[in-house]
Amino acid sequence: MKKFSLPLKNLTRKPGRTSILALLTAFLAFAVFAGSAVVLSLRSGLSSLEARLGADVILVPSEAQSKVSFQNMFLQGTTGAFYMDASALDKALEVEGVEKAAPQTFLASLKADCCSIKIQVIGIDPEKDFTVQPWIARSLTRELGDMDVAVGCKVEADVGEIIRIYEQRCKVVARLEATGTGLDTAVYCNMDTMNALLSAAEEKGVSHKISSGDRVISAVYVKVKDGYDIDAVASRLNGHIRKVTAVRTRSMITGVSDSLAGVSRTVTVLIAAVWALAFIILLLAFALIVRERAREYAVLRLVGASRGMLGRMVLLESALCGLLGGVIGVGAAALLLFPFAQLIESALKLPYLMPDTARMLLLAAGTVLLSVAVAALSSLIAAYRLSRVDPGTALREGN
Amino acid sequence: MKKQVIPAIVMLTLSLVIVIGSQTFLSPCVHEDGSSGPCHWAGQALMGLGCALGVLAAIALCVKRARPGVYLSGLPVCALGILTPGTLIDLCRMSTMRCRMVMRPAMILLFSAALLCALAGAVLTARQKS
Repeated sequence: MKKFSLPLKNLTRKPGRTSILALLTAFLAFAVFAGSAVVLSLRSGLSSLEARLGADVILVPSEAQSKVSFQNMFLQGTTGAFYMDASALDKALEVEGVEKAAPQTFLASLKADCCSIKIQVIGIDPEKDFTVQPWIARSLTRELGDMDVAVGCKVEADVGEIIRIYEQRCKVVARLEATGTGLDTAVYCNMDTMNALLSAAEEKGVSHKISSGDRVISAVYVKVKDGYDIDAVASRLNGHIRKVTAVRTRSMITGVSDSLAGVSRTVTVLIAAVWALAFIILLLAFALIVRERAREYAVLRLVGASRGMLGRMVLLESALCGLLGGVIGVGAAALLLFPFAQLIESALKLPYLMPDTARMLLLAAGTVLLSVAVAALSSLIAAYRLSRVDPGTALREGN
Repeated sequence: MKKQVIPAIVMLTLSLVIVIGSQTFLSPCVHEDGSSGPCHWAGQALMGLGCALGVLAAIALCVKRARPGVYLSGLPVCALGILTPGTLIDLCRMSTMRCRMVMRPAMILLFSAALLCALAGAVLTARQKS
């Protein structure tokens, strides 16, 4: 502790100088922590999206080929509803290369129903479903019962609460884990509940009827057998089922992945630019400070301080500034990143899932260490030059 | 400038941001049909608390003798400001809505900063007395 006492005194006695150096390193730490956290969150979001899609091909009615809006449903949680005859499921299972297929039915709630805005209601068949059901099973150990709903983590409803959808009372039985995708804003129910909701919607004037019949679904999620070419199976599905379009999930993910790569590149370039700039500024700042304090160091040499001691003192001072700045920078970034995570997600319009606490703590510790290292490194030249200065010359020059 | 005045100046600035923000850039959700949800009332309450905080900060600036008491009375006002959005007054039911996405975190941060200022002011004035 004794070896810290002189550097600490030097720092506390000159609060202005210390603040400026700490602020510079804080700026560095902020850029690194915030940039890395955003990139990590985007990567987690993409992995989560891949895991949640689960299927190789999604069959949707041709009019919904508005693939963009279909993609937005997953990424941003925009509501959408389109219907096709439920027989598409059986037809899909007849196609060679299809391992399993599961239906989903979409319905957009009315604004006033529960949340002041429309929410997407998704009906699944728990026995057949292989995309959403495994995710629901992590929060709900039993199957979804009639008029039971599981809500995405962004729907602010507690388990046991009753929410009204088209005047139908639905009981919230589970809140699902965050996925960082639009699926977090949806409400999930079984097909019987969905049929009841579709009937209630019909009474309210929201039509979902199609000419071919009353049994409707919105999409069929298809898993392709191992060894089969997914594109070939998608083509066969397109040919076998009329008025239906097979969308490869990979094509949706590729779009997201490209955007993510773009954001990652931009963030990396920005971080590198900030680091280079701040490193040069710190280098100059320490050089100027050491020159300004030449007489002070000369006096210390005259009272018995060795060259090594002076060098260590300069290094310690800069490392302490780096530590202070690192903590301030990481703290400031955390104050913006955590409370405003949802705002960042909305602005980026990409899947965004914050990494777990342990990883964030590791990142924070790494950033602080990096700030300390950079601050110490930038004062290294100044410390070396200081050890070469003759105290007598320094004192005479000062006069 | 006396150190004891600095927290009051910061508190006054924060209260201005809270009052103006709660009606403009940090306002609750605006419904297309003109109706107001619960978050509207949270916004109004926050504006009221911001005004109260501003008055307290102004008194702390102008009346030297009242400073310790004023700083201490700022603490419950700030605590109320932190608890109002979402805990004392309900907000909309979706995390993606403006009241939860922008207003709540921003107001919690602003009132937390004001709370720290009030605490710092109370400590500084107590030190000066002793």
